[in-house]
Amino acid sequence: MKKAKIFAGITLLSGAALTLVACGKSNNQSVDETKTASKFSDTVPVKATKDGGTVKVAVETDTPFTGIFNDELSTSAIDSEVSQYGSESLFATDDHYKFTDKGAATIKIDQKAKTATITIKKGVKWSDGKQVTAKDYEYAYEIIANKDSGSQRYSSSLAELEGLAEYHDGKSKTISGIEMPDGENGRVVVLHFKHMAPGMNTSGSGYIWETAAPYHYLKDVAFKDLMASDKIRKKPLYFGAYKLDKIVRGQSVTWVPNEYYYKGKPKISKIVATVISPNSVAQSIKSGKFDVTEVIKSQWQNVKNTKDVNFIAQIPLAYSYLGFKVGKWDSKKGENVMDKNSKMNNKALRQAIAYGMNVEQVGKRYSFGLSFRVPTLIPSSFGEYHDSSIKGYTYNLKKGNEILDKAGYKKKGEYRVQPNGKPLTIYLAAMSGNSNQEPIIQNYIQQWKKLGLNVKLTGGRLIEFNSFYDKVKNDDPSVDMFLAAWSLSSEPSPADLYGKTSPFNYSRFATAENQKLLDEIDSAKAFNNSYRVKAFHKWQKYMNDEAYVVPVSNSYKIVAVNKKLTGYSLKPSKSMGNGYPNWYDVALVK
Amino acid sequence: MWKTVLRRLLIMIPQLIILSMLVFLLAKMMPGDPFTGAINPNTDPKQIEALKRAAGLYDPWYIQYGRWVGNLFHGDLGTSYIQHVSVSSLIWDRAVNTFWLSLLTTIITYAIAIPLGITAGRHQDEWQDTAVQVFNYITFAIPGFVFYILGLWLFGFTLGWFPISGSVSASASGFWGVLGSRLYHMILPAILYALITTTGTVQYLRTGIVDNKVEDYVRTARSKGVPENVVFNKHILRNSLLPIAAFLGNTITGLLGGSMIIETVFSYPGMGKLFMDSIGQRDYTTLTALILIFGILTLVGNLLSDIIMSIIDPRIRIQ
Repeated sequence: MKKAKIFAGITLLSGAALTLVACGKSNNQSVDETKTASKFSDTVPVKATKDGGTVKVAVETDTPFTGIFNDELSTSAIDSEVSQYGSESLFATDDHYKFTDKGAATIKIDQKAKTATITIKKGVKWSDGKQVTAKDYEYAYEIIANKDSGSQRYSSSLAELEGLAEYHDGKSKTISGIEMPDGENGRVVVLHFKHMAPGMNTSGSGYIWETAAPYHYLKDVAFKDLMASDKIRKKPLYFGAYKLDKIVRGQSVTWVPNEYYYKGKPKISKIVATVISPNSVAQSIKSGKFDVTEVIKSQWQNVKNTKDVNFIAQIPLAYSYLGFKVGKWDSKKGENVMDKNSKMNNKALRQAIAYGMNVEQVGKRYSFGLSFRVPTLIPSSFGEYHDSSIKGYTYNLKKGNEILDKAGYKKKGEYRVQPNGKPLTIYLAAMSGNSNQEPIIQNYIQQWKKLGLNVKLTGGRLIEFNSFYDKVKNDDPSVDMFLAAWSLSSEPSPADLYGKTSPFNYSRFATAENQKLLDEIDSAKAFNNSYRVKAFHKWQKYMNDEAYVVPVSNSYKIVAVNKKLTGYSLKPSKSMGNGYPNWYDVALVK
Repeated sequence: MWKTVLRRLLIMIPQLIILSMLVFLLAKMMPGDPFTGAINPNTDPKQIEALKRAAGLYDPWYIQYGRWVGNLFHGDLGTSYIQHVSVSSLIWDRAVNTFWLSLLTTIITYAIAIPLGITAGRHQDEWQDTAVQVFNYITFAIPGFVFYILGLWLFGFTLGWFPISGSVSASASGFWGVLGSRLYHMILPAILYALITTTGTVQYLRTGIVDNKVEDYVRTARSKGVPENVVFNKHILRNSLLPIAAFLGNTITGLLGGSMIIETVFSYPGMGKLFMDSIGQRDYTTLTALILIFGILTLVGNLLSDIIMSIIDPRIRIQ
């Protein structure tokens, strides 16, 4: 489940990171640029390679990385970024994140027997030359579930594995649901589940752990000491293409080839990943300080003409959205409870507000066309699960006004009033971010004014990330609607975000129909893929119509890769299941 | 004098207790907590809650504070919520970086400021003086972060003479290699930082010299036929250096505390950067430990200044 953190299993994204990004005052971006952006390749050109050489990679963060080199214990996205060269997932995937047998292990799911059989390939070795064994896989589960380890990864989805909860609670010393037919030193593990879920054949589902930990190396360290131990912080073992050679705490890591790598020795002789401040990125790209640098979108205008680099791009699994507060989280019952009388609990009002958002114009003006409108809550990266027939809410003031008129929101003076005659003021919570965030939000408020809606900012201004989520999460009464963002897990089931019992369902809508549609997506019938596709489409139609949550935008992730590198690809199928390029394939051009 | 020092040290105790309580409370009042960034449905909210409870974040503040103070007396600053290592080792790591950067900065500051101050004082109202004054106004008026970013852009990026971030390069090896690399990483921030902290020293020195020049003892020395150089170096300069020496204690603590901006601009992993990061990440344990250290440094710095003053100027006695 390394994907969980890399494709970021639905982490909170700050508005600055994803939503309405970009700065710069150039406001005459032509339509052409949007086109060029979508013409980005996701792979650098294939060329003849040579052995050796050093590759320098920029790690863009304002804070030093933590450096927990263990997939079960690490939590930060930056940590997975600096460990990508060695930390390979057991399973490879296709472009829609379904497991394939091209990785270090294969997985077979048996719905009837409620098992998953994992076979680690022979010759898959840790960087000290020891074969990766069944015990190493079990040990990963032990680290996660043992309370002493402080792992944040234990979850109710993982606890669908028989006996994991008992192990977690200390009631049992072993995990009964893990069977090792060939013994601990064998290469086969059979997982026994309480229930099966259709997403299990997809990476990032959360039901099946997707990495292993070196038991022979770590067994002498107590679980409570693991996280701070030198064996994890300074000299970790991985079975990926490169092994950690040197680390300057918080600042840089140096990786060298893992001579025991099961596919053969990789070509680059040294990879150095160094932390740089996001503010320095544009200059770094222009001056060629690094061979691989992710472009900060607001700086795109500044760097796009840089010579000697290939710009490749990917659409991340993420979207920003407008959510309407229609209820409250009942922490006692652990579920969302809708409030029928809530101001925003009116479909017409929500739809009209959605029609009032000129997302495309904003994307063109403020982010050089690098961000674009997202029509549904299942992004197109999920292939057939995405319903391409849904167009979402395109900017249409006329339609918005009509809907409001029909629904009885009459104009009294400048603004409309509620159907019951009471005045209507809608409070919008939005995160502060870069300098463009303010004009973008003001623009939306202006658009809504054209619909006769009186929208004001919660607290009168944009809100800092932590306070924002504090308010949204705790259903602060000063928030009627909010602009936030999700980054998604590679298993598309939306139950974690929009279910009745999901605390992340910040809109707090919980209709019976919604729950029924969500349940269908994850039901036993959904093991039949065409049934699941239909279920996904039905749910998207429902969500689009009800508009409790309106998807807003997403934007390209662009990477500047030095032209002397080849083999670098952002395709999920080219990754080794960890969400990062497969560094075994990357080499210098001859 | 030792009595006084002891008394001052004793007074520091309640000062520190009040400071630490304030800091602790303010830190807790910030929205969010160390686990906010970890929110992620694949990490079960229940698990996060369990970890929060285990970390004692739900206890009332006085219990948390008491626990913290208790650990403190055992020399335990706690474990960082974010970095997952002991706070003392984390701070030690960073303190070393900050110490060397501060030391280099101090040396460069004096190396620039003392000659400038002397020149200006000696050539009062001549063109040299005007030139120094202009320099002083400029460095005084430019906000630090603007100056640093300009320097970083010019020397780090455009000319490429210096590294743009970090404290040591990943490829450095061997004692001399690492030392060289560390110096190389420090030199640009130290020079930039020194350049805009010279103002006070230059001004003190210049004023001191200008004032002392017309003192009676100077006139006496001159009338006795003491050579002009000796008059200047022995009589005027020595006395003019007094306030600067007295300021040394504060300068040192000022450098440790004031390093936040320069360390942030240069992504230099020192105490200031750690402080900024631990605020952003709500890393309470690190944050409170740092404030306590900054507090102690400030109080000690003041005390040091007074002691130095009393040692070098026999006219002053602290009671």
